[in-house]
Amino acid sequence: MSDESKSSTPQSPDAVLAVSRSTVPIWIIVLTLLLLFLGMVYFDHHGGWFNPQVYGPYASAEELELYQPKSGEAAILARGKARYDLVCGLCHGVDGLGKPGQAPPLAGSEWVDTKGIQRFVSIPLAGVGGQLSVKGQTWSLSMPAMGAAMSDADLADVLTYIHNSWGNKQGPVTADDVKAIRAKLGAHPQPFTGETLKALPE
Amino acid sequence: MNNMFAKRDSSEIDRSCCIPLLALFGGAALWLVFGSVLGLIASIKFHAPGFLANCAWLTYGRLQPAADDALLYGFCLPAGLGVALWVLARLSQTPLRGAIVPIVAANLWHLGVLVGLVAILIGDGTGFAWLEFPRGSSVPIFFAYLLLALWAMMVFARRHERTLYPSQWFLVAALFWFPWIYSTANLFLVAWPVRGVAQAVIGWWFANNLLLVWTALVGLGTAFYFLPKLTGCPLQSHYLALFAFWTFILFATWCGIPPGAPVPVWLPTLSAVAAAWLLVPLLVIAIVGLRTVWGSVKSSWDNGPFCFIGFGLDCFCLSGLMLVAMACPQISRWTDFTWFGPAETQLRLYGFFAMTMFGAVYYLLPRAVGMEFPFPKLVRAHFWLSLVGVALLVVPLAIGGVLQGLKLQNPDIAFADTTKAMLPFLRVSTLGLTAMLLGNLLFFVNIIGLTLRWKLALLKQFIAFVKSPLEPGSACASLRRDKEVRA
Repeated sequence: MSDESKSSTPQSPDAVLAVSRSTVPIWIIVLTLLLLFLGMVYFDHHGGWFNPQVYGPYASAEELELYQPKSGEAAILARGKARYDLVCGLCHGVDGLGKPGQAPPLAGSEWVDTKGIQRFVSIPLAGVGGQLSVKGQTWSLSMPAMGAAMSDADLADVLTYIHNSWGNKQGPVTADDVKAIRAKLGAHPQPFTGETLKALPE
Repeated sequence: MNNMFAKRDSSEIDRSCCIPLLALFGGAALWLVFGSVLGLIASIKFHAPGFLANCAWLTYGRLQPAADDALLYGFCLPAGLGVALWVLARLSQTPLRGAIVPIVAANLWHLGVLVGLVAILIGDGTGFAWLEFPRGSSVPIFFAYLLLALWAMMVFARRHERTLYPSQWFLVAALFWFPWIYSTANLFLVAWPVRGVAQAVIGWWFANNLLLVWTALVGLGTAFYFLPKLTGCPLQSHYLALFAFWTFILFATWCGIPPGAPVPVWLPTLSAVAAAWLLVPLLVIAIVGLRTVWGSVKSSWDNGPFCFIGFGLDCFCLSGLMLVAMACPQISRWTDFTWFGPAETQLRLYGFFAMTMFGAVYYLLPRAVGMEFPFPKLVRAHFWLSLVGVALLVVPLAIGGVLQGLKLQNPDIAFADTTKAMLPFLRVSTLGLTAMLLGNLLFFVNIIGLTLRWKLALLKQFIAFVKSPLEPGSACASLRRDKEVRA
């Protein structure tokens, strides 16, 4: 064979099979660390956190929960949350804490977290303008009648959700409640002020 | 250093492995040809479904697994073990002792493969991909491997240099790898089957660890030994090889679960991430190979073994990239359930592993036997036939696979039309398999020719020995003289 002369030198050829000792270039180490980091981030987002119930194409238990059909109270709360996040959450926040200078908090508010629902249901149907004191702080408000365009059932779901979230613990608001109060307010009610709201029974 | 461990002449080491290697490679060459014939028939069935369809033994569902297993268990594993045995003996500078055990083990191995292939063809396979051999075959194979690995480890344990050459890490890791995965997979899938989806997970894990990790460990260990040896340039470098070794076995063992698998999502996600991390060892291995042979490619090009092993390393990197692409969820949409996967497997098993083994066997077997191959010119022809065969098999299937995936994603194209559109690609791949079969036949002819030549020489020696008392100065005469002196 042609390589015979090259490979079999007189002494045993494998005694010193030459190996260079040059080191691993730093860019390979950096590339490895970068890939490791990106890989872990990817796993974080898509891996379902080792949950044996999460199958593809879903990536987490929370995502899976969104697609589960609900019944009873859970269904009302899920519908209410979806609508709240869309309509109310922009100002009052998805956490119900409000926005400074714009919208007062709903969590633990004396206008919301109450047993009676007269005032609570009237606010979204008519809106609020002018000065209003919420949790010891005076707000200058101009809230439009955000709930006026919703159906009774939809508004009832949203209000039930608000009544039972972020630490609020009150009873449900039914579509019949909303219907009755809407009828009492009339077709085009004026926005409430602090005084007119207080004049209402709880 | 005491006398027992005195350094040996390399030819003495080579000759000590002679009979075990002939037993391992002879059977391997036979199974290689047998497997390619089965694979060729299976491939023809795609465009001529009536071909040999009347015989239950030759139906596609039995032929294809039999062809795959003949290539993997019949050729790749025994050839890899033989090469590992010889390379470890050479690097340890220690002759093989007690050669009878590896000889028995090699025959036990080939007997096990025979039983397994017959079992598959009569419809008695286990039904798990790459693990079709039933118990009557997997048990002898397992013990034959243990014996061969034990003897290789004993050679390794008696080595002269305490510092290890990179090839030794790879080969020793491979010796341990197979018993672990083969016993685990057989116990959990065949002996006491686990329930439900875990079966599929174990099946994928096993196939990946055998087809990716084991072949890479043996193939790279062999390439890292032969490339510096054949080119005369040092391996570049110790630390890069070390980095490639650890990153490879760390990442590659997690791969193998396809992105669309109906199992909890963390499993395929982990596999996808590990496959992306596999880019690092692939890159480093490519750098090691390129830096080592850089500048000596032209001068080594007329060297048969170098061509085989160099081509094998190219195929390793290419098939690695295909594997990473298939594991990426965005790309796998077009490659899942298409011909892309088989193309990748063939590229790795034949293009990388078998080619590397061919190169190594062409180099080491004449040295071990102490004779030249009877038809040295066929080595070159074998190389070109295999190269053309791999190209004609893998390229059309990979391209056709992606086109097939695109069509499968399109709801306007009927399934039957998608399947029909693959026909031209499958016809070309049959041509590729034919070229590979011819190449394998040349390999077989050389191995069997060398074995016959060796047996003939033994016979001549024997006859000379029988005749020798008539001639003064022969072995027997000198023996008689010794006795007289002692007396």
